[in-house]
Amino acid sequence: MSYKEYIYDKFIFKVKNGIYYHKDGCWIEVGGNIATMGVSDLFQTLIGDVASVALYGIGVNIVQGEPMGDIETMKTSIELISPVTGTITEHNKQVTETPELINSDPYGEGWLLKVELKNFESDKLNLMDSSKYFDYMKQQVEEEGRKLGKE
Amino acid sequence: MHLIDSKSSDPYFNIATEEFLLRHKKEDYFALYINSPSIIIGKNQNALSEINVEYVKKNKIPVVRRLSGGGAVYHSMGNLNFSFIIKDSKNNFMNFKKFTTPIIEALKGLSINAENTGRNDLVIEGKKFSGNAQFKSKDRFLHHGTLLFSSNISEVSKSLNADTVKFEDKSTKSVAARVTNITDYLKEKITIEEFKELIFKQIIADNLEHHFYEFSAEDLDEINNLVKTKYETWDWNYGYFPKYNFKNKKKFPGGLVEIYLDVEDGIIKNSKIYGDFFSKLDVDDIEKALKDIRHDENKISGTLAKFNIHDYFLNITEDEILGLFF
Repeated sequence: MSYKEYIYDKFIFKVKNGIYYHKDGCWIEVGGNIATMGVSDLFQTLIGDVASVALYGIGVNIVQGEPMGDIETMKTSIELISPVTGTITEHNKQVTETPELINSDPYGEGWLLKVELKNFESDKLNLMDSSKYFDYMKQQVEEEGRKLGKE
Repeated sequence: MHLIDSKSSDPYFNIATEEFLLRHKKEDYFALYINSPSIIIGKNQNALSEINVEYVKKNKIPVVRRLSGGGAVYHSMGNLNFSFIIKDSKNNFMNFKKFTTPIIEALKGLSINAENTGRNDLVIEGKKFSGNAQFKSKDRFLHHGTLLFSSNISEVSKSLNADTVKFEDKSTKSVAARVTNITDYLKEKITIEEFKELIFKQIIADNLEHHFYEFSAEDLDEINNLVKTKYETWDWNYGYFPKYNFKNKKKFPGGLVEIYLDVEDGIIKNSKIYGDFFSKLDVDDIEKALKDIRHDENKISGTLAKFNIHDYFLNITEDEILGLFF
């Protein structure tokens, strides 16, 4: 699986090809009726070292654009926003035991959960493909960089 | 900036207000509030492993889970809380200094030299008087902090003195710190109300556009609804924490008793009782009865009451057995 890379200052931001992205930071890879989700490289870089992750339970119905769990870094809790509507079928147990995987491998071992999709065709209208997300990410990074530069 | 001077000292109301402003409003808010004695725990903490259950029960101290991360804090009428609830601009995130600077500036006006330390505490001469935490959801952002003004420090340590050895879990652990009150460093004494006014003055000086905001009847309805359906509930305050193992043991004149619990979402999924006590009947009966009930004093006490405890634990009382569960 290939990646697009964007270098900004000392950071390299990766976007994995062939998957979908939601503006609030999660990616989704669809295989039939089941989709795997995680957070983007941009999201994990911005939040920093993950201390713990708490996901909504298996069997819970989640809705696109609404919470599905949260990640805690040093004293900051960041709500995870679901990129699709569906029912949670599986958690990545490894990531709840070793949350650092979210930072080290956000598109691979750091995946979060699997869902049974309800209506992906309509979810797709609010998702970006990797090229669109790459542009969106560049804009976010530059905005961030400019503001940080001002301080 | 909309300024909110909370008239309530109800911790459930004030904590619910933060969520209401974050999820249902679009403008920027700054609130100051004082809570009656209460323990406010971080989003991903295990309530039972953070508090001194006996002290909290005896003094009827409410335990309230907040949205932000971090550790447990004790609130009282001598502690002022500040809260920014704003639209997230990219440089808010993880930037604690931006929100603590107005506090440091206000204290400068009182000739107190306060500093940021690490990422989220404020200290005077190395002693902590303010803990800060944040929560982000979509494009809204909450930064809040405590300001120990004239709290009874011994109450703080008593109520948060939990026995963490009993718990095995993935929760956020609180870190004990050397703490101090702001009043200890004041040249001329002022009241917490006067201190509150000074903080508001600082925020007003920093924000040309501002006005004091009063809740509408509709706002109050929504906040009170959140209090009833979430912040006052056992499910949120105790049951939210997903999974932990609890163990405890004690030697009684009647023998040693050890208890092990697997708890999910606050509910006991499995329990095991071991020991060298004498029993007429098999403790398996009690283990079975404990399945699927809350890890909560009332519920466990109600379950134990169904048994004649002396048939299971010779020379050990029901209260002694109950005490082992916390």
